[in-house]
Amino acid sequence: MSDVKATGAEATSVPTKVVMNQLPGAGIVGQSPLHHADLETVAKNGPKQGGVKFKEQKLMGLLTLRCNAQNPEQAAVAEKLLGVALPTTPLTSVEKGDTSVRWISPDEWLIVVPGNKAFALESAFFADMPGHYSLVNVSGGTTIYQLSGANVKDVLKKSTPVDIHDSEFPVGKVVSTVFAKSSAVIRRTGEQSFELVVRRSFADYLWLWIQDASREFGLVVEA
Amino acid sequence: MAQKNRLQSGGRVDRTKPVSFTYNGKKYQGFAGDTLASALLANGVDLVGRSFKYSRPRGIVAAGAEEPNAIMQIGATEATQVPNVRATQQELFDGLVAGSTNGWPNVETDLMGLVGKVGGKMMPPGFYYKTFMFPQSMWETYEQFIRKAAGLGRSPKEYDPDIYDNINQHCDVMIVGAGPAGLAAALVAARGGARVIIADEQNEFGGSLLSSKETIDGKAGSAWVSEVVKELATYKDVQMLPRSTVNGYHDHNFLTIHQRCTDHIADRAPNGQVRQRMHRVRAKWVVLATGAHERPLVFGNNDVPGCMVASAVSTYINRYGVLPGNELVLMTSNDNAYRTALDWHDAGRKVVAIVDSRRNPSGDLVSAARDRGINIIAGSGVIDVHGSKRVQEVSVASLSEDGSRVTGSVQKLRADTVASSGGWSPVVHLSCHTGSRPVWKDDVIGFVPGATVQQQLIAGAISGDFTTEGALSQGIKAAQEALSKLGKSAPEMAVPKTDKVVQGKPMALFHIPHSKPTSQAPKQFVDYQNDVTAAGIELACREGFESIEHVKRYTAMGFGTDQGKLGNINGMAIAAKFLNQSIPETGTTIFRPNYTPITFGAIAGRNCGELFDPKRYTAMHKWHVEHGAKFEDVGQWKRPWYFPKPGESMHEALNRECVATRESVGILDASTLGKIDIQGKDAREFLGRVYSNAWAKLPVGKCRYGLMLKEDGMVFDDGVTSCLGDNHFLMTTTTGGAAGVLNWLELYHQTEWPELEVYFTSVTDHWATMTISGPNSRKLLEELTDADVSKENFGFMDWKPMEVAGVPARVFRISFTGELSFEINVQANYGLHVWEKLFEHGAKYNLTPYGTETMHILRAEKGFIIAGQDTDGSVHPYDLGMGWAVSMNKPFSFIGKRGMGREDCVRKDRKQLVGIKTIDPNVVLPEGAQGVFDPSAPIPMPMVGHITSSYWSANLGRSIAMGFVKGGLDKMGEKVYYPLADGRVVEAEICSPIFLDPKGERQNV
Repeated sequence: MSDVKATGAEATSVPTKVVMNQLPGAGIVGQSPLHHADLETVAKNGPKQGGVKFKEQKLMGLLTLRCNAQNPEQAAVAEKLLGVALPTTPLTSVEKGDTSVRWISPDEWLIVVPGNKAFALESAFFADMPGHYSLVNVSGGTTIYQLSGANVKDVLKKSTPVDIHDSEFPVGKVVSTVFAKSSAVIRRTGEQSFELVVRRSFADYLWLWIQDASREFGLVVEA
Repeated sequence: MAQKNRLQSGGRVDRTKPVSFTYNGKKYQGFAGDTLASALLANGVDLVGRSFKYSRPRGIVAAGAEEPNAIMQIGATEATQVPNVRATQQELFDGLVAGSTNGWPNVETDLMGLVGKVGGKMMPPGFYYKTFMFPQSMWETYEQFIRKAAGLGRSPKEYDPDIYDNINQHCDVMIVGAGPAGLAAALVAARGGARVIIADEQNEFGGSLLSSKETIDGKAGSAWVSEVVKELATYKDVQMLPRSTVNGYHDHNFLTIHQRCTDHIADRAPNGQVRQRMHRVRAKWVVLATGAHERPLVFGNNDVPGCMVASAVSTYINRYGVLPGNELVLMTSNDNAYRTALDWHDAGRKVVAIVDSRRNPSGDLVSAARDRGINIIAGSGVIDVHGSKRVQEVSVASLSEDGSRVTGSVQKLRADTVASSGGWSPVVHLSCHTGSRPVWKDDVIGFVPGATVQQQLIAGAISGDFTTEGALSQGIKAAQEALSKLGKSAPEMAVPKTDKVVQGKPMALFHIPHSKPTSQAPKQFVDYQNDVTAAGIELACREGFESIEHVKRYTAMGFGTDQGKLGNINGMAIAAKFLNQSIPETGTTIFRPNYTPITFGAIAGRNCGELFDPKRYTAMHKWHVEHGAKFEDVGQWKRPWYFPKPGESMHEALNRECVATRESVGILDASTLGKIDIQGKDAREFLGRVYSNAWAKLPVGKCRYGLMLKEDGMVFDDGVTSCLGDNHFLMTTTTGGAAGVLNWLELYHQTEWPELEVYFTSVTDHWATMTISGPNSRKLLEELTDADVSKENFGFMDWKPMEVAGVPARVFRISFTGELSFEINVQANYGLHVWEKLFEHGAKYNLTPYGTETMHILRAEKGFIIAGQDTDGSVHPYDLGMGWAVSMNKPFSFIGKRGMGREDCVRKDRKQLVGIKTIDPNVVLPEGAQGVFDPSAPIPMPMVGHITSSYWSANLGRSIAMGFVKGGLDKMGEKVYYPLADGRVVEAEICSPIFLDPKGERQNV
């Protein structure tokens, strides 16, 4: 198959790794983890005013990068391909254009790009990244919730033990932590806005949780 | 008559806002600002309960959290019932429905009263230990009776409709209590720029200042409170929590607060609002400004309604505008309580006498009483009270100078109210929660917080300084200290000016003697809630219980929801006196969370109902629901269990699914299997070390089954791992084992073999996995792909990338059914699309969805194990007859290799997994059944192993089972018997666990 790539220039050699375009042609529409909740209709018919706003940023391209940022060659190639240097300060993130990179652990980053750019990025890393690394497409296993509004911090406080006070959780900060009885990668995107990267299988549970925790403030669903 | 005890003016109630409520079925009126207790007293309701053990009539004693008697059942409907609410803490609202919880069948006419009168004699301390211990079989009967008689409230029988909440908080300074000390501390901490939380259990901040006539900076205390609260509200990092009881102080400055958000508004929380919240606070510094509780004195019949704590009487007068009686006798050992007599007198009712245990009381307040012409009987005590449902008369006698004996004759005074004060006990409960033991101070006549390992400061009456001036200055100082510890500069603040009152020395007196010895005197109550008397404590000491912890447990003093707030110090003092030792020598029991009762709702928060535990779903879940699947919980996953057609039983559905799969094609949603992407040049080496079998030569494009062992050689997970590229593998794990396996790989990589270049990434949720299985599965797949999936070009245990139904997929030719199978993996956002396309094309092949149960049966027909069902952490590969999955020739060892070589692991008679065929093919053995070789052996029979898997196989037309049998692998064809609980003994034969297609011809097509 033409869009399955393998390292090793000669066709005869054994591939060391494979990357694969996992997206079908345009005729087949992907279903995000909250597809069944029909948020378009909820958004249309639901309240327009409330202390908390919710939106699923769906079908994005999410990739887990493992490499050694102390390795100057790897750092340089990663910066070239991402358009921005890997954040090496713990719990920080960087964003440029439609690419954002979250520090997850000293040798792990979560990259978010538009859904249709994931394979190109994988292919580029595949072609250029030297040394020991792994870049794994996890787009199908994750989705992104955008939470905002005057009471967004109250909802987060109900859901995670992390201190989200301005002095401890400035815009751009990222933590991977407990959220309700599941987990999330939480990033602050603005004064009153946060983003959660959650796992597909927990998406419905977390959506129910957020609805319940927001109820006293009024929840506005956006689609 | 309505509100006969209500004053015309004064207090913080709003007389323009009448509020009606129901108590024990009768309607009453109070005012906005009342508590249930103040409203009951205003209405002249004397009786609020019957005592726990003796069933004596009881009235309201206190005005706050320490109230021992007025414990109410609140709730207008069955669903909104809340037990254990203190009337002194329940704010009045229109439509409030309350009932007393003690008293059966009701408070006024009490059946238990009769029993109780007799029971009094029959129920000495230790009664339960002594009486209800034997016979043990009767305990459940006793317990029911005791519980009902004790009547400590009940939980609702219907689903609670309200929303409850937990919330996490962080702060620099957590201030507990918003009296003068707490407010002063909050002000300084706020001005210093700290993140502050200040919580108080009352509906408004102010503490003692709300109930007294003291002034601060020349203004009413309450005016100072308003100013402070107004200023605090301007700081964005100050959170003020009224109606919020700090109930627990846990290690590492973690505190739990029970906030009642709407309990003061209505029976049910208004639409959408949270009824109660539990705050989970992590504080850098804690300032305990919890104040003090006044101690009542212990004297004869001191529980007759009308006997109250002195300061509570003042609170009812000053804060609520309620005078709870007509004729007051004040019994005191200190000056401070004189305020109550002054308040009573100034409100226009009669103070019969102040009975002071001290010979020569002096001080400003004493003079004030004299100036008003109040009769002061010095050197005396109230030794007895007369009346049953209300005080009618008191007996007063002169006492020896140390208060230990009655010295003079007894005079009787007419009165309906006895206020008493033995001084104040600092509220040390929270400081005790973290294990700190309180310390006795003679000058305080009480315990104060002792050394602590927490970042804890104290301020105000908790320190033993009971003056308002002390509270303010200590509050300021505590906040300044906290700020400087936090590295912040502490603002200066002058101590506000307070009234100067010169007070005489208080007397350390707890127990007023009677003319008769304590054991023969009228009952002198120490702990009202648990019906513990002075005589009871002495009896406990006489019976040899000398440790205060033992006295507590023997008598029940300070038990339960009371937590000894009023009675503990008196009880210890009585024990100390009886044992002829000092109070510090006697020591004190300490307190545990919660300070006051908290509802389960607040503890649970939203972790209940649908949200109790996460439910994990696959991308195809909606289809399963729409097609009638019954679900099974596998970890947190909801997996289809089976797909019954209308009218079909489970058994019929399973037979149909099993046969359809073997005859044509079935489909399973296998998305829940754990999947781990493994990359790096040492990936292959790593696999060789964590699996028991060999991985060095697995070529790209091939899949292999592997067993994973713990160090002891025992199987803990299994699965198929595929070679995607020479340095790139995809591992699958069991559904339940996914997270554990990833942790295991990371653990070994990070701690043992960090030199290996390998990275692991979970892709469980990323891939939707569907397995089509059965002789027609290839035909079905061919309809949806252009790839060559022929036997020649896509053999068993191969994998290939291809498009399926237009979606890029990885397809694995692996089989858990023994049939020709294809496991199709697509990016999960396209899982449902491919699944539905398979059904569009599969109809002509009778494509049959099946769930975990059919999967279990089909694999058992083939003798495939399920890790966690056929293994339990005590079996190694050879026990499972799976020696073929162990490679002893790998250059580097593998986890479990040494463990497997232990002497015990190579015994011949280990329990080994074999097939079990019942002689009667229609009998399906229960899983867990224990086998024996000789069913006629005497009980207990030597057991030789249990059944791990057992099913009806429709394909074979008989039952099949797998199980462990000692030495079973060498006993093929031999008999084993299963004696069942119902008396049957099932005869069976040991056989190969592969019941179907032993040569594997069905999957190699």
